[in-house]
Amino acid sequence: MSVSKNLDIRLLRSEKKSLVAFLSLYLFFSIIILFFIVFLYYSFQKDLMLQKKREYLQEYSKDFVVKLKRLHRNFSKTHIYPTDKNIRTAIYDSDKVKIFSLLKRKPDLKKVIYKTGDQIQFIKEPESYYLGAKYIIFEMEDDGIWFKKFIKNILMFGFPFFIIIMIMGYFLMRLFLKPMRDTVVLLDRFIKDTTHELNTPVSAIMANIETIDKNKLEPKTLRKIERIDIAARTISNIYQDLTYLVLNHRVQTNDERMDISKLLKDRCEYFSIIAKSKKIEFILDIQDGVYLDIDKNKMIKLIDNLISNAIKYNKIKGKIKIVLREGSIIVEDTGIGISEDKLNEIFDRYKRFNTSSGGFGIGLNIVWMIAKEYNLKIKVDSKVGKYTKVEIRW
Amino acid sequence: MVKRYIVLCFILLSVLSARSNIYERNCVKCHKTQAVTLDKLFYRYLLKYSSERAVKKALYDYLKHPSFFKTIMPKGYINRYGIKLPSKLSDKDLKKAIDVYWDKYKVFGKLKVKK
Repeated sequence: MSVSKNLDIRLLRSEKKSLVAFLSLYLFFSIIILFFIVFLYYSFQKDLMLQKKREYLQEYSKDFVVKLKRLHRNFSKTHIYPTDKNIRTAIYDSDKVKIFSLLKRKPDLKKVIYKTGDQIQFIKEPESYYLGAKYIIFEMEDDGIWFKKFIKNILMFGFPFFIIIMIMGYFLMRLFLKPMRDTVVLLDRFIKDTTHELNTPVSAIMANIETIDKNKLEPKTLRKIERIDIAARTISNIYQDLTYLVLNHRVQTNDERMDISKLLKDRCEYFSIIAKSKKIEFILDIQDGVYLDIDKNKMIKLIDNLISNAIKYNKIKGKIKIVLREGSIIVEDTGIGISEDKLNEIFDRYKRFNTSSGGFGIGLNIVWMIAKEYNLKIKVDSKVGKYTKVEIRW
Repeated sequence: MVKRYIVLCFILLSVLSARSNIYERNCVKCHKTQAVTLDKLFYRYLLKYSSERAVKKALYDYLKHPSFFKTIMPKGYINRYGIKLPSKLSDKDLKKAIDVYWDKYKVFGKLKVKK
């Protein structure tokens, strides 16, 4: 099963964390390796350039030493220091004290050839200390051509290399995600198969209950039939959820102008039997004439899941307050509530916070998917042991 | 105030002249009659010892204990003129004379660039 096929599945927070950690680590090490390679290449290019300059300066130094020797011999007659237009020089004695200098930057007498700032310095130790000079320093400007070439090569080869590393990262990420995806896909497939087998018996039960003339039944039998009806409706509801989840990609969307007020009342009516079994009271505050452009089945799924959750997680003799206004639906229960730290995870698929109640943990995931599709805003407010309030805005 | 300056200048000149006199009396006097002048000798030392510290130390060592192994003069010169006698100057005076000799011929501050 490919990854892209299931991209609409929300990643769990722990999965996201692992993914972010993996990507950060991968990026970090990739960049470190890249920098290391760039640094090695830079050092190599610099050394190559210095080697070339060294040859040139070595040759120049021979002439300069001859001039210095001549000056040494005639020092009682002349004190004119030999100079050159492109190369500056300096002489230092054996105690590293400056005798004379025309340099722009202070030399490092421990080295032979090196780059300091934008200058290249070469140090030669003549055989004899003419004018007391143990060190002769030659300095010339670095024209920077080698550096421009280095930058050009880095852009030419380094950038594609970086892209390759990124592509490799993408494939590694896919490999990394595969086990997670496979688990979700496996669960989806299982639900799909189970759902298919549920459909026929549930439909048969519900159809038969509807055909029963309840007026002719004894009160005891009527109560039994009502309980069967509730159970069948609950199964039917779960069936609808699972079908939606599994066939979501293949169901054709048919958006139309929906009378939300009427739909909401119908769904409350539908759930009233189930609510009655837990002695839950509906408090309806539904404004008439609220319309929304949405697919009817999807809107039903959204409302059903909100109401069924409000019933499922409510206490006996609890209340469900449903408010409909232009632009918002609020479903508030008086149930077990959700702790603040879990609020962010309630829309994750297969996430259940209370294992004592039934369900697969897909109801709110469906709500989230529909809300995302129609750009509806979901706001959840809850207090443990007091209430849960879900607001859908458009 | 002016008097004090005059006295100070006088003392300074006297000290310098005394230092110079040690060098003049004990070095120049003999060397001006010799084949190798003092300046040539200085640049030989510079060529071998480079720094002020090393040159002064070599001069002091040689003048105190002259020997065939310490001399900077060529073999032929030594064969002809021999090794000089050890200096009779006190350590202090010898060092003063060497300082004057260094200051007179040193390269520091003398080099210039052709304009």
